[in-house]
Amino acid sequence: MARARQKTRSAVAAHPIASTMIAILLAANIFFVLFTPIYSRITPKWGNWPFFYWYLLIFMPITSLVLWIVVQLQKPLDRMAREQAAAREEGEVRS
Amino acid sequence: MSHVNTTTFTIVVVLFIIVTGVGFAAARWRRAADMMHLDEWGLGGRSFGTFITWFLLGGDLYTAYTFIAVPALVFGSGSIGFFAVAYTIMVFPIVLIFLPRLWSVSRVHGYVTPADFIRGRYGSRGLALAAAITGIIALMPYIALQLVGIQAVLEVMGVGTSSTSAFAKDLPLIIAFLVLAIFTYVSGLRAPAMIAFIKDTLIYVFVLVAVFYIPTRLGGWGHIFGAAQTHFNSINPKTSKPYGTFIPTPKAIGSTQFDFASLALGSAVALFLYPHAVTGTLAAKRRSTVKRNMIYLPTYSVLLALIALFGYMAVADPVTSANIKKAGGNAQLAVPYLFQHMFPPWFAGIAFAGIVIGALVPAAIMSIAAANLFTRNIFKEFFKPDATPRLQTQMSQWASLVVKLGALLFAISLPKTFSINLQLLGGIWILQLAPMVIGGLFTRWFHRWALLTGWFAGEIYGTIAAYNVSSSTASHWAGSSDIVFGHSIYIGLTAVIINLVVVVVLTLILRATKVPQGTDETLPHQYTADPEPAPAPVPAGVSVTTASD
Repeated sequence: MARARQKTRSAVAAHPIASTMIAILLAANIFFVLFTPIYSRITPKWGNWPFFYWYLLIFMPITSLVLWIVVQLQKPLDRMAREQAAAREEGEVRS
Repeated sequence: MSHVNTTTFTIVVVLFIIVTGVGFAAARWRRAADMMHLDEWGLGGRSFGTFITWFLLGGDLYTAYTFIAVPALVFGSGSIGFFAVAYTIMVFPIVLIFLPRLWSVSRVHGYVTPADFIRGRYGSRGLALAAAITGIIALMPYIALQLVGIQAVLEVMGVGTSSTSAFAKDLPLIIAFLVLAIFTYVSGLRAPAMIAFIKDTLIYVFVLVAVFYIPTRLGGWGHIFGAAQTHFNSINPKTSKPYGTFIPTPKAIGSTQFDFASLALGSAVALFLYPHAVTGTLAAKRRSTVKRNMIYLPTYSVLLALIALFGYMAVADPVTSANIKKAGGNAQLAVPYLFQHMFPPWFAGIAFAGIVIGALVPAAIMSIAAANLFTRNIFKEFFKPDATPRLQTQMSQWASLVVKLGALLFAISLPKTFSINLQLLGGIWILQLAPMVIGGLFTRWFHRWALLTGWFAGEIYGTIAAYNVSSSTASHWAGSSDIVFGHSIYIGLTAVIINLVVVVVLTLILRATKVPQGTDETLPHQYTADPEPAPAPVPAGVSVTTASD
């Protein structure tokens, strides 16, 4: 188990920039909705919409975009993990 | 109350019959060699691609909660109801962190329920039993919420309510309920997946039309927001407090910001612990299907936000407000009354049918999920380990009926001031699975007995705290938040923090005293695996690989 965990870690270690960016993007996406004082306000209005309401509405396409970027960033990590898993399965069959 | 409008009524009935037909026909859709297998009945053969999964999860997650409960809270209390909007934003980044791992490990080991995973991960039948019971009980108030939603539409349509006999009053609800029960029994997960197409089309159409049309009738968004702001800032003579809040307020003036954030976070973490959301996920074909869906599902959140605003439109429309007051102030009627007043009868019929079907689909999926839990993790595990796939499927079919009856009891017995509390109550219970499920997907550090004790502590605290919440209209079960350190906060979140503290402390003790930890049948690399073809399903608890350490 310890051996395999090292391997999964190495997928992250092999892509430090991508991994950091994934973590930051996900954390930011959660934080900017969770921390209500940022957007619990009426102004600036957008048209007739108070800030609180258009902020939340705009955050949805932003979430989709952020998650799209995250999934793209995860691709090389996933590929690596998949290859390691395949190698491991093979090793198990052989042993 | 209002007379039954023939046009509206006919359209609802016709659409309902069409959907029922589709529900039965679905049994034949993508038909497998043997339908009497739990993978078929309960997971649609684990073969759904991105598109169907999107509809299925959307149908799962956006329910009478969205159409009735959220606008009701917005209508009654203002901005606090928008926690649901924040929740449906936060949920996707949170879920992207752990759900693909759950999909992978479940696919490798053939897990069907979250409890299967617990069983395999911790090698503990007791812990799996706790997870299964929690899942079943937490789903009941959530299904009950669907029934309350259907009831609200029927009441506004004037169906049954004019009668004095209690039986005739509930007859339409019982009929809808029976139809639901029968087509779930026959078609399994295929029925709701197929109906979800029709339902979502109806809903997208009526919501978009309403969002552009209703403001023109009410003097524009400026007037709608203005009316809401004036209303919620004015003082309710009965309580000598404001009616609600127009934006969440800081602590100085009666904190709702903390409440808002904790409700949103708690609901977001809870969502994919619910067995029905897990069922929808596990029916996906590939790991990438799950990930892609997290990108596309926020489309539904936009819809939810727009529907939440219907609550303000109901405030701004004097006729709707008056109708609701006449009906005893039942806020659940806000959206149905708004549509009845704003639209011609035929269009109101389409919208009402959309809401009713939109409640039936998730109710079907939820009862299937609860039934799978019962069969796999209670019946097979403890009573009949050698049950054939056929017998398992039959048990699930019957269990799905029993669960629906339980939901009916919840719907009848709990106060309905705000039906959203039904969902939040389920949330309190299901959240207590977070340490074992989400924790377990990343680490095996937690000790199984610590998790069981923590779960128990969280459930006890959460249930007692929720029971003790009173309001002017109900002495118990009246809300889902209580006061902790001067802040109003979602009980589910407090309970899961207590849960987690107990788990960590006990794990340290149990590890130090070297109490056996149980066998882990999963391997680290299986949490990122993406096996191409679905392997032959392996019964829960039978390990295909042995732990290597």
